[in-house]
Amino acid sequence: MAGIKMVDVKKQYPNGFVAIENMNLEIPDKEFVVLVGPSGCAKSTALKMIAGLEEISSGEMYIGDRLVNKVPPKDREIAMVFQSYALYPHMTIYDNIAFGLKMRKTPKEEIDKLVKEASEILGMSDLLDRKPRQLSGGQRQRVALGRAIVRHPQVFLFDEPLSNLDAKLRVKMRTELKKLHERLHTTVVYVTHDQVEAMTMGSTIVVLKLGAIQQVGSPLSLYSFPSNRFVAGFIGSPSMNFLDCTIAEENGNLFVDTGAFRLMLPEDKAAKVRDHGGKEFIFGIRPEDIRKRREKKESYSEEHINAKINVIEPLGKEMYVNLSAGNLEFMAIINARFPLKPHEEVELTLNMDRMHLFEKEGEKEAVAHTAKNATTLEGARLMADLDESDDD
Amino acid sequence: MAMTRDEKFWEGMRWAGFGATFLFMAFPIFWMILTSFKVARDAYSTKVFFSPTLNNFISIFQDPYNFGPLLFNSVVVSFSTVAVAIPAATCAAYAFSRYQFKGKNALMVSVLSSQFVPPVVVVLPFFILFKNLHLLDTRLALVILNLSFVLPFAVWMIKGFIDALPPDIESAAVVDGCNRFQVLRHITLPLIMPGVVTSAVFGFIQSWNEFLFALILTNQKAVTLTVGLMGLHTDKGILWEHMAAASMLIMIPIFAISFTIREYFISGLTMGAVK
Amino acid sequence: MNSREKYVKWVMLAPALLILIGTTLYPFLYSFITSFRFWRLTRSAEPGAFVGLANYVRAFGDAGFWNSVWVTVLFTIISVTLSMAIGLAIALILERATKLNTFMKSLLIFPFAMAPALKGFSWRFMLNPDYGILDAMIDFVFPFWSDVVWLGEPYWAVFWLAMTEIWGWAPYIALVFIGALGALPQETVNAAKVDGANTFQVFWHVTLPQLMPIVIMVGLLKTIFSVKMFDQVVTLTGGGPGRATETLNFYVYNQGFKFYDMGYASSLAYILVTTMFIFAFIYVRFLMKGEQN
Ligand SMILES: Nc1ncnc2c1ncn2[C@@H]1O[C@H](COP(=O)(O)OP(=O)(O)OP(=O)(O)O)[C@@H](O)[C@H]1O
Ligand SMILES: [Mg+2]
Repeated sequence: MAGIKMVDVKKQYPNGFVAIENMNLEIPDKEFVVLVGPSGCAKSTALKMIAGLEEISSGEMYIGDRLVNKVPPKDREIAMVFQSYALYPHMTIYDNIAFGLKMRKTPKEEIDKLVKEASEILGMSDLLDRKPRQLSGGQRQRVALGRAIVRHPQVFLFDEPLSNLDAKLRVKMRTELKKLHERLHTTVVYVTHDQVEAMTMGSTIVVLKLGAIQQVGSPLSLYSFPSNRFVAGFIGSPSMNFLDCTIAEENGNLFVDTGAFRLMLPEDKAAKVRDHGGKEFIFGIRPEDIRKRREKKESYSEEHINAKINVIEPLGKEMYVNLSAGNLEFMAIINARFPLKPHEEVELTLNMDRMHLFEKEGEKEAVAHTAKNATTLEGARLMADLDESDDD
Repeated sequence: MAMTRDEKFWEGMRWAGFGATFLFMAFPIFWMILTSFKVARDAYSTKVFFSPTLNNFISIFQDPYNFGPLLFNSVVVSFSTVAVAIPAATCAAYAFSRYQFKGKNALMVSVLSSQFVPPVVVVLPFFILFKNLHLLDTRLALVILNLSFVLPFAVWMIKGFIDALPPDIESAAVVDGCNRFQVLRHITLPLIMPGVVTSAVFGFIQSWNEFLFALILTNQKAVTLTVGLMGLHTDKGILWEHMAAASMLIMIPIFAISFTIREYFISGLTMGAVK
Repeated sequence: MNSREKYVKWVMLAPALLILIGTTLYPFLYSFITSFRFWRLTRSAEPGAFVGLANYVRAFGDAGFWNSVWVTVLFTIISVTLSMAIGLAIALILERATKLNTFMKSLLIFPFAMAPALKGFSWRFMLNPDYGILDAMIDFVFPFWSDVVWLGEPYWAVFWLAMTEIWGWAPYIALVFIGALGALPQETVNAAKVDGANTFQVFWHVTLPQLMPIVIMVGLLKTIFSVKMFDQVVTLTGGGPGRATETLNFYVYNQGFKFYDMGYASSLAYILVTTMFIFAFIYVRFLMKGEQN
């Protein structure tokens, strides 16, 4: 078993394009780590460098304690599942799975035992005589998995293995992959561009943008404490609302001024931007932190605004509501029991403990909790506990 | 769905066209085949019914025509050309398809364009060169020149097949523990084999049918079948019954192999010409 | 990729490139130099003096040369347009994937795979005024043509020369078009039908425009190969009657291997190369554009 460490890793393709500038990342042993980011952010490139399929331009790459910069893929004790599955079309499923073992000169009986075992785990013992083109998408995906697990590698590398499956199968396979991880207990590096997949599968998530790591953390900490606007917008669905604003001071209190409305900042957040009066920021708040105003006082620092309803998308338990205040538009998730109608005016409560302020320049989060640092899991749990009570 | 009048009309046209195409394509070949079984007197007529003979096939192998050695030359030249061209083309195609490097496009275009150099341009200097090296009228000379058009075509065709093979499959094999050579042997080659075989067949046909080089560079020892036909053009005129029999000798092997691999053949045809 | 890997591609390219340098680049350059020399093989095995552009200048005053240019142009126009038109027609006829059509498609391979030299002989046989079957059939259908000796009349001879070329190439072009037609999205055709277009309108306004890139590619390719055509001149007409079917290619051949005038033949060959490469250049541009995507 082995973890992975990348130190100042850089990747420049032969055509001069720098896909990864300077990557530092430590993946602990037996962890399920998800690399997530939009298309073209060099997720596959990172994975291929771990696998040894792409050369590292500079920096150091460790698997376990071993420096593997010059180690060819076959000696890295890794297995990889490709986005396209990359099954060998001219071999039977059995041979597909056995191929890696054969190349390593494993004895025949041993191969037979291992292939049978792997195909049992994946429930495809009856498919072994077929050729890949005679299988469905889901079955092919299993074969690709089988080819990886049969070798008992130190590290599993998955490159968007579920993206070719239909929605239902994808959800099912997510669970199966997690179960598989628990059973095999091996380091997994999993690449996806789908943030939902990342959130549901990873114990640690690495968010990438244009070849640079934006943030590393648990799913909840990324959700609650995004370190910049990109992560805030990328994680969570529907996406966080972003409104341009300035900071105004009045009677010693700080306010977020969006032009359409003013919101008072809670004490702890105000303290961080006190000397930034007049500077431009981006105010961020998730749709789920905007609620319809109720009589009783909320347990968090609340602010109220009035807004007009544009569109309502009912989802059953709740509804996505598109609203406007002045010339600003934003989204809220509101409990479906409220009888709202389009074009109505509605009074809203904003959970100011969970709002974010991003610097206009650089888009860094300016008012993040320091005590509950963004990368610690405890912080996230604490914040999550806060609003257990209010989902009545 | 019921056909409209307009659709019925075109459906009729389609059938008429089908018949016309069939006649247009098959008749010249059919007539050659028929003639090859005729005695001289019948050959110089438009008779369709006649008493067939196999004599033509026998006499073209006898004096003074002696097609035996010609057949041998054609076989040796075509096989040798393919045996050199296809491995070289496969390697080059793989490099073009899988590697990025400076000047790659320019190189690929040069390879492609070399197909378009008119054969007369190639043969002029080689005639002089081979004359000085005493290589005129040898099979080696023909093989060398046939490579000039078989090789570039094969490179482009095989490249098309390799391009169609996802690189991930090769990466998977590398992760599975193959070195570069093993990847080629266990994965790439078996998968592009249909393409390689098709290119080999194309190359074989092109060499087999080659006429200009053989006409200029050979006169006795290394004469091939196509040029041998010229020998049936005597002072007494063309001996059509023998010509037809010799034609069969040229056509049948080509038709047989191209028909066996017709599916690859048809898909391979369009490759290298248009994407 | 480590540094050893960097050489692998060059090792793989080397055999093919070396062969091509030897078989194409070398003669290409050698001919170019020879085209500026006086060199008759009948007088000397050694190349003669450099004569500057004299060989090229000579071509301009040579009626035989201009005749061969005219014949080549005529032949190319006829063979390209007809083989494209017939090829497209065959493709439309065989477009649907029925059993019969599949059989027909295999049959199409034969004319294409037949040796061009043989095409010439076989058509020569069929066109013979005394015992040619094709001649007999034409006489039967068009009695007013019964006196025509097909290969004895200059323009007819060029036409039939083109016909041998069309016979071999139309099937190839048809197969390319069938592939292209199969790749066209069926929805556009259906949409046009729903919009009320009749069969011909669908073809003219929907199918043909989408096929245009392939039509251009095939047209260019065919043009190149028509200019290159040689074998059938020898086996069908021998250049005759008179000089009526002496293409540029054949003329170069005669200068080089009948009169052994290497200098002049080389300069003519270079005139041929230059015209061919105009078409080849356009063709390659198109093809490489496809390559980038
Ligand atoms: N062989 C290559 N040569 C040059 N540039 C490349 C090469 N491979 C990838 N790139 C570039 O590197 C960047 C990252 O590519 P990569 O395939 O790693 O993205 P990705 O995050 O996996 O995207 P996707 O989600 O679409 O798979 C892209 O901009 C891509 O164009
Ligand atoms: Mg990718």
